[in-house]
This record gives sequence, structure tokens and C-alpha cells, in this order.
Amino acid sequence: MARSTQRLAGYLFVLPALIYMLFFVGYPIFDNFRLSLYDVNVMNVSQGTQPFVGMDNYKELFGEGILGTALINTLIYTVACIVLQFVIGLAFAMFFAKPFRMAQRLRGIVMISWLLPATITAMMFKFMFSTNGGIINELLTKFHIPGSPVEWLVTPVPAMFALVLANTWIGIPFNMILLTTGLTTIPKDIYESASIDGAGAFQRFFRITLPLLKPAILSLLVLGFIYTFKVFELVLIMTHGGPVNATQMMSTYAYKLSFDEFNFSLGAATSNVMFLVLFVVGFLYLRLVHKEEVSGS
Amino acid sequence: MKMRVRSSWLLPFAGVIVVALFLFPVYWLVVTSFKTEGEIFRSPPTWFPETLYFKAYSEQLSSSSYDIFEGFRNSAIIAFGALAISTLLAIPASYGLARFKFPGRHAILLLFLVTQMLPASLILTPLFIQLKNLGLIGPSYWGTILANATAGIPFSVVTLRTYFASLPKELEESAKIDGCGIPTTFLRIMIPIAIPGVVVAMVFSFLFAWGDLVYGMTFIGKEDMRPLTAGIYNFLGFQSTSWNNTMAFGTVSIIPVILIFVFIQRYIVSGLTNGAVKG
Repeated sequence: MARSTQRLAGYLFVLPALIYMLFFVGYPIFDNFRLSLYDVNVMNVSQGTQPFVGMDNYKELFGEGILGTALINTLIYTVACIVLQFVIGLAFAMFFAKPFRMAQRLRGIVMISWLLPATITAMMFKFMFSTNGGIINELLTKFHIPGSPVEWLVTPVPAMFALVLANTWIGIPFNMILLTTGLTTIPKDIYESASIDGAGAFQRFFRITLPLLKPAILSLLVLGFIYTFKVFELVLIMTHGGPVNATQMMSTYAYKLSFDEFNFSLGAATSNVMFLVLFVVGFLYLRLVHKEEVSGS
Repeated sequence: MKMRVRSSWLLPFAGVIVVALFLFPVYWLVVTSFKTEGEIFRSPPTWFPETLYFKAYSEQLSSSSYDIFEGFRNSAIIAFGALAISTLLAIPASYGLARFKFPGRHAILLLFLVTQMLPASLILTPLFIQLKNLGLIGPSYWGTILANATAGIPFSVVTLRTYFASLPKELEESAKIDGCGIPTTFLRIMIPIAIPGVVVAMVFSFLFAWGDLVYGMTFIGKEDMRPLTAGIYNFLGFQSTSWNNTMAFGTVSIIPVILIFVFIQRYIVSGLTNGAVKG
């Protein structure tokens, strides 16, 4: 095929989707920066002058606002989720990698938790964690766990814990599937020769499984970070950022500023800080993937 | 070899227990929707409803402020709309990226990879203003449909590009010899062959939009046009104790997800690994 035909055909095929994304995602990202440097609220959003305020929005958010709190909350939440999801996901992956009847089918069924709308999952967990009639408190009291019943969603630390558990439930299949793929790339005979050399299960896990899973684990952690950091529905429904901002996250704070208080500039500035964090992590990820592709995996 | 004999039932048995415990929340959701208010708050809890009680469902149809079937219809309109847009745009784009050499194609692919990871709350404020200026905020599904397609498009482009790239080049070469132009080859030969990949892309585009809460509740000004998820959010905010009603909402919302899962489970696993790993 002639090169000019290649070019023309390529552009014609790609352009509609590209233009769509530039219009509905690219432009808004650019506009986020503009909004964050101006004072735009519900009064002057469509008409009237929008005064330029420079970095004032950011100063306000980190000063009187609670952007710092939201950032720390989101980071704590994200790291806790990633660790739990990874540990349980790896356990699931290794269990269902064993050759037994129904292993693959059962592994598939676990995926359901990842596919459910987050709103539904949030509602389910809100019900299970509710102080009265919640199944979790029922069980805790039944087994006489000290301190029960816990007022899960209205006490700061338990509320964060409940959110982490709910999100872990969603994230386990994702971790499991990616780690399963990683496990299949480890040749079986490595384990056999290690057994012959007298390596126990413990040693085989730490000396063979984990090191050989390293590429899968790295990209999993980065993707997990990006997908967990953006949490919105779970928090909005289970705690609404409360009690007193103890579980306020970047996304819920941005939403509150823009659509409860109608201060669009403050909302946009919050989103920008979020963008910055994701950008740094995403950049690391792309470097990582690129390196892997270059080294030929 | 004693171990082998024992493990032939032990492992599957353990597996079933693990999965049952893991999915207990879903069971609890469905079961609660069939309980009476009194039974829900009974201690100790009943593991199965004493009598199947459908009032939580029927109440939504008659008395309540939010009609459950209306919500279902709204969610369906939004999800199918977003699915249509993202499929129509993503199939040609992914084929173009997989098969034609043109300057900037690596950068464009990278752009899709990056946008796939961007969360909705990042662009929500400027997108709201943009759609408002276009007149799409208020009593209209359009703003929500257009916004949800921005999640489906990059995912579909990335997964389908991998799929098209894996198909043998000879297909196009022999089509060319037979006198087919690029459009005919694409429409008559490549798309039909790529159906399994297209199905994965369509399913995920649908699921992204079906699960959407934030666009629907922000962009749609009219209560009775909002999706099921927004109905649930309202319910939890203002009538926080009627759990059987909310659970009925939840049960209705997960029906399409469970159906999709049952029919195309194996595509979903492959879609997740292709789309997410190289992602």
C-alpha cells in the first residue's frame, strides 16, 4: 500500500475517536487549569467577569480548606487498600492456580465483585456495617468480641477501616487475575528442581514465586494505586466524607466544593492536585511498561 | 499418593467455601430485599427470609417518589447510548492504530492509554461547564451519555487494537487481490472476524456506563430521568432506614451485570487481562 494511502486511511480511521476524546476529556483537563486560576462560581459561570486570582485558590484550599487532610486520607486509604488487596489477591491466585476440579470456574465467579456497580457495593457494605441490624456487629457481639458493637461508619478510624474493607472486596479479583497471569509464566520445573534441592514451601514462595512475579507485581501496584486513588462512590455513599471529614477524599472534596457549594474554581483546583498525584504515578508506570517492552517481555 | 486421593475433594470443597464466603455480601443484598422491615432488624438475623416478601419491589411502582422500572429504563438508555457511541468510534480507531503506519500513531495510542486511567472526578467540573454551555445539562440524557462514552472509548480502543494486531495480515492482502478497497475490507472482513474482541469492548463500555453514578446525578437535572444508581443514592440519603427498599433497587441493578457475567464470563477475563495489563 502506498505510504500516502496508509497515512490518509490511518487518520480517517483514528480521527473521529481522537477528536471526541480531545473535546470531552482533553479540553476539560486544560480548562481545569484555567478554572483553578480564576474565581468562577455559580454566579459568573455563564456570564459576567471571572476575576483572575492566581494561586489564591490553592492557598485557600491548603489553608482554611481541608485539601491537606483529604490528600492524606486518600493516601492512607489507597495504601491500605493496595496492601490488603494484594495479599488476599495473591492468596486467591495461588489457591486457584492449583489443578483441581472447578478451579477455573470458581476463579471466574470471584470476578463478580469487580463487575458490580460501585454504588451497589457501597450500599451493601453500608448495610452490613450499620450499627443497628448490621450483620458485622451481629457477628461481633455473638462471639463476644470486646468493644462490640462498633459504631462503624460514624467513628473516624472504624469508618476508614470499613471503606478499606469494602474497596478491598472490589479489588481482590483484579489483583487475583493479574497475578494468575503472572503465575502461569513461571516454569513448573523451577519448583521441581527446588524441591529436589530440599527447598520447603516457605522458601519456594519467597525465593521463587515472589521474585519471578516482580514485573506483574510492579504494574499491579501502580495500576492499583491509580484505580484506588480515585475512589468516589464508596465514600459518598458509605460515609459521605464523615464523620467531620475523617474520610473526606480528594474526589469527594472536589465534588463537594463544585456541586454542593458551587465554587467551581475550588473544585477544579482540588482536581488539579489529584491530577498531579496521578500524573506522577502514571508517568512512573509508563516508564515501567516501556522498559519491559524494550527488554522484550 | 494418599495426598492426591484426599485432595480430589478437599480442594474443590475448600474452593466452594471460599467463594461462597467471599460473595456473601451479594447474597445478603438479595435476601434482604425480600425481608420485612421487622425481620431485617431482628437479632439474631435470619439467614433466609421467613416468607418471600415482595412489597419492597411493588412499593416502588405505586407509592414512592422514585419508580424502580423508570430508573432501570433510564440506566438502560444511558448505558446503551454510551455503548453505541464508544463502539462506533472505537472500532475504526483501533483498526487504524493496529494496521496503518502514520506519523503520530504512537503518541495517539499513548493518549488513549492515559485517558483510560483518568477518573471522572478529575474532569467533572470543567465538563459540567462545557456541557452546560452546549445546553446538555438539565432534563436530558445526552450529557451523561456523552460523558460515559469517554470511559468506554479508550478501553475499547486499547483492547481492540491488540485484537486487530493479532489477526494475520494475509486476510487484508488476499482481500486486496480480490479487489476489495480499504472500507470494504474493514467492514466485510475484519469486523466480522474481530467479533469476540468487539463483544468484550461492548460489554465493558456498557458496564462502565451502567455503574455510573457521578455523571448521572450531576448532569441530569430531572429526578425521574436519573439512573438507578442515583435513585439509590437519594434513597440512602433521605430514607436511610428502609433497607429492603434500597436492597430491592440494588437487586434490580445487578441483574444485567449477573446476566452478562453468566453468558460471557470467559471473554471478561480475557478482556480484563488484555485491557488492564498492557493497559
